[in-house]
Amino acid sequence: MTVKVEKIEGGIPHTTIMIAGLVASVILLYLTYANIAVGTEYFAFFGGLATVAALIWGSHTIKVLCSYGIGTGVPSAGMIAFGSGVIAMLFATKYGIAAPIVAIVLAAIIGAIIGFVANNVLNMRIPVMIQSLTEMAIIGAVILMGYAAMMTGSFELTSLITGKVSILGLSLPSYQASFIGGGLIAVVFMLGAIAIQHPFNACLGPSWTQDRMLMLAAECGFLSMITAAVMSMAIVSMGAALVSLLVAIIGWYYTYTKYIELSYRDAASWVDSKPIPETEGQ
Amino acid sequence: MSAIAAKPAAGAAMDMTSTLIGIIILLILIAATYFVAGSGLAFMALIGVIVGGILIGFGVHFVPVGGAPAAMGQAPGIATGVAMLAAGAGLAGLFGGAWAAELGLVVATITGAIGGGLLMAVTCMFVNFIYVFGMGIPSASGKVDKDPITGDTQKEFKSQGTEGHGLPFVSYVGGVIGGIFGGGGGTLIYLMLLDLYKVELPGMMNALPGQVLPIAITLAGIFAIGIFLVNAVLAAYNITGTIEGPHDPKFKRFPRAIVACAIASALCGMVAIMIVAV
Repeated sequence: MTVKVEKIEGGIPHTTIMIAGLVASVILLYLTYANIAVGTEYFAFFGGLATVAALIWGSHTIKVLCSYGIGTGVPSAGMIAFGSGVIAMLFATKYGIAAPIVAIVLAAIIGAIIGFVANNVLNMRIPVMIQSLTEMAIIGAVILMGYAAMMTGSFELTSLITGKVSILGLSLPSYQASFIGGGLIAVVFMLGAIAIQHPFNACLGPSWTQDRMLMLAAECGFLSMITAAVMSMAIVSMGAALVSLLVAIIGWYYTYTKYIELSYRDAASWVDSKPIPETEGQ
Repeated sequence: MSAIAAKPAAGAAMDMTSTLIGIIILLILIAATYFVAGSGLAFMALIGVIVGGILIGFGVHFVPVGGAPAAMGQAPGIATGVAMLAAGAGLAGLFGGAWAAELGLVVATITGAIGGGLLMAVTCMFVNFIYVFGMGIPSASGKVDKDPITGDTQKEFKSQGTEGHGLPFVSYVGGVIGGIFGGGGGTLIYLMLLDLYKVELPGMMNALPGQVLPIAITLAGIFAIGIFLVNAVLAAYNITGTIEGPHDPKFKRFPRAIVACAIASALCGMVAIMIVAV
């Protein structure tokens, strides 16, 4: 058993992953701002990459929190992350270009208070509880903002609530055909919440290895990005949506093959089982 | 600390110092909303959100959550986690209540409560159906000798080495009550936020009330889902994952959850209100 515990604690330290995830997702979120600077929508896919970076960070945070045995199952951590994250994210979109920073600060405050409530008022007494729930709220907010930026090309409230409908060649503003008005935010809420909890839920156990779990997190992120790219066709131009889709499919294919390789590496043994063998003629 | 050494240390006791700090945070949040948004609709919305959050947190304690042991027939309850059950009951209630939103606060909240209760009733029935006819296990509680409602004895039916199994009658009733509280609380949050957004958004966006209705509905809905999930998971942390129903000794921990859910709902509700009030 000792060996396995060491293995669980090994790998890249959590602080490194946290800083890398935070910096990468913020930079990638701001890269979508190039859309407004240049006047296109082709940079929207950076929002999707920001969600992948945040998901990798998030799955490791869930691992840190859930290795203490909180008793409620791993999915609950994903749900509380997005429940507190969506509130911070929607409020922050009011602040224009400062939105990602405001979202991170506000989510940190919300997460810290919820962490205090869970740890002290509910008497959970888990050493990493406050820090983890703070991180989870930030991750939830960043992922939702990433999807918003990917599907609308911007992370500002006005572009999230107004879309365009073309009737007989006329382009009319519409509140219904938008990221929030069309309810797309509810879909990405669940896309992200499932993608963030799945990697640790699938990889936990004595044979847990860090690189395999993080690769699965990236795979889940790109898989969700494919769905988000398809949905973004309703809002951004078709060209931009196709660029996002292409990036997502390439990323998903790469991470998926890598993940299968790592699974083979970690498995005790594997048999390449065939479909039902043909017994005819014997 | 290694992963194996650490175990949830959540006792039944209430940490009075932390609870007092929590209540002070709650009062500060309510006061801050009062000073920023005034005593009008926004303040009423905050009170509604807090009441809804408390109902959700209280309701979760009734729901028989079994988790993985229940799936193996080694503990009573529904074989899944709180997050899934509460999301199911709460969202079913929310959708039910949202359809009735035009009929007024009372009708809509009761409709939402019935929606949540109905989902739990159907879930509990089919869970028991599968337990009894699919897995071949009788329903027996491990926490009490006699069912508090029917008076049926439990011990003879309980297998050795388990904490009970199946879904006893009292757990079924608890599940329905939990669904009613959860669905009603979720709907109340949605309705209070919807009323506020319907009034405030047209002015904020310079648009007609009819145009902003989709935005108001989605914003209120997604905030209600977010606040609902936060409260449900906090209540789940309070019972450390599993509970048999209202007869379980863990049920007595609910005062902690009420304080916790009030703080969390006030915090989330304040931000949700500030999006239109600031």
